[in-house]
Amino acid sequence: MTRRLAIAAVALLACATTAGAQQAQTMPDWSGLWENVGGTPDPSGGFNESLDWVLTHLEWSPPNNAATQAKVDAMQAGERKRLDDVAHGINPADAFKACTFGYPGLMLDTPLMFEVLATPKETVLIFSSREVRHIYTDGRKHTPKDELWATPWGDSIGHWEGQTLVMDTIAVKDPYGPPDGGGSVSAFGDVEGFLTLGILTQQARYVERMRMIDPGHLEDQMTIIDPASLTKPWHMRRTYQRVQHVKRMVYEDCDGEDRNPIVDGKFTLAPPPSYSSQPGAFATPSAAPSAPSPAPSPAKK
Amino acid sequence: MTRLARCMFIALAAMLTATAAPAHHSFAMFDQTKEVTIQGTIKDFRWTNPHVFIQIMVKNDAGVEEEWSIEMTSPEHLVRTGWKPTTLKPGDKVTLVIHPMHDGSNGGQYLSGNGPDGPLIGTKGGAGR
Repeated sequence: MTRRLAIAAVALLACATTAGAQQAQTMPDWSGLWENVGGTPDPSGGFNESLDWVLTHLEWSPPNNAATQAKVDAMQAGERKRLDDVAHGINPADAFKACTFGYPGLMLDTPLMFEVLATPKETVLIFSSREVRHIYTDGRKHTPKDELWATPWGDSIGHWEGQTLVMDTIAVKDPYGPPDGGGSVSAFGDVEGFLTLGILTQQARYVERMRMIDPGHLEDQMTIIDPASLTKPWHMRRTYQRVQHVKRMVYEDCDGEDRNPIVDGKFTLAPPPSYSSQPGAFATPSAAPSAPSPAPSPAKK
Repeated sequence: MTRLARCMFIALAAMLTATAAPAHHSFAMFDQTKEVTIQGTIKDFRWTNPHVFIQIMVKNDAGVEEEWSIEMTSPEHLVRTGWKPTTLKPGDKVTLVIHPMHDGSNGGQYLSGNGPDGPLIGTKGGAGR
């Protein structure tokens, strides 16, 4: 009897292992680094793309209802004035440092790069701003209402339809909006240009379908459902291309030292101190370090 | 600073007046209507977060060398465009095109340039321009 149980256990384990392996084999390989097409950085500190290009070439068309559009119009008027002010050397009023992009902007229009780690139970999107999206695909439901609060990244679950990851996200708020506000959608371009296009509520639901359309591109089809702010679901498509020149994740350190402190109401330059040693002077091992030798056994007497 | 994940600045007024306040930075200290070309010798290439700086010695009209601080974007963005921490070295002779400071001080925003090995990465002309 014991032997039969043991055999059955081994058989079950083998089946489970095989099933797991098969499941793992069906996971797409989206490894590598990706960046938003339309949000490539420029060495000068801005986007390679102009704001006009971003507005023209990326899919936006926000179906805002009248109340939302009135808010958006007010925001845009301020943003256009701000852009004009900056062009004339006038500082933005009461500016402060902010380091979080938040969702859905992370997917729609950022200059960040990101990795996608797809596993059977969870897919993780890791952005170079050190923001992370966790998409749980283990069959769970959204976090119960009594345990849920809105965050800049929301609460995400998902499932796989073949090689397409279907994501469902709720409870999103703009990182710099009011506590009861929802997420927002903005277009960015040039060095200073941005325009708010959508102002959503915390009741908004975001459905995405992400897939690889060719070896060099991922695609994300996003639909935002928010009857309180939109007249109909808002659909947008974004593509991501492989990052060039760099093969490892390099993070931003936005929380680090401030190179542009505001002095007497004006932005200034504050270069970092000189290096005691120059970058690139690190010793690079030619091979991975070998495992440490085991401690010698005590000598037998 | 830019929305490019470096230090970003947003207008508090915008945050208070609406629900959506996009994160942002400001290059308000640079005169983006002007481009100035400077020539000099690299003192330091300071590859640090959140922004990289080129410290360059430039002769003024009296022939006296003065130190200029040229701000770039973050290391994360620079490596993606092909820059390395060793792209510029102390002693390199370079020509840089910058947006100058509004206040006339010795600084600016990097746009493009030429280094010891030819054109530096960053000349405008990518998608959308």
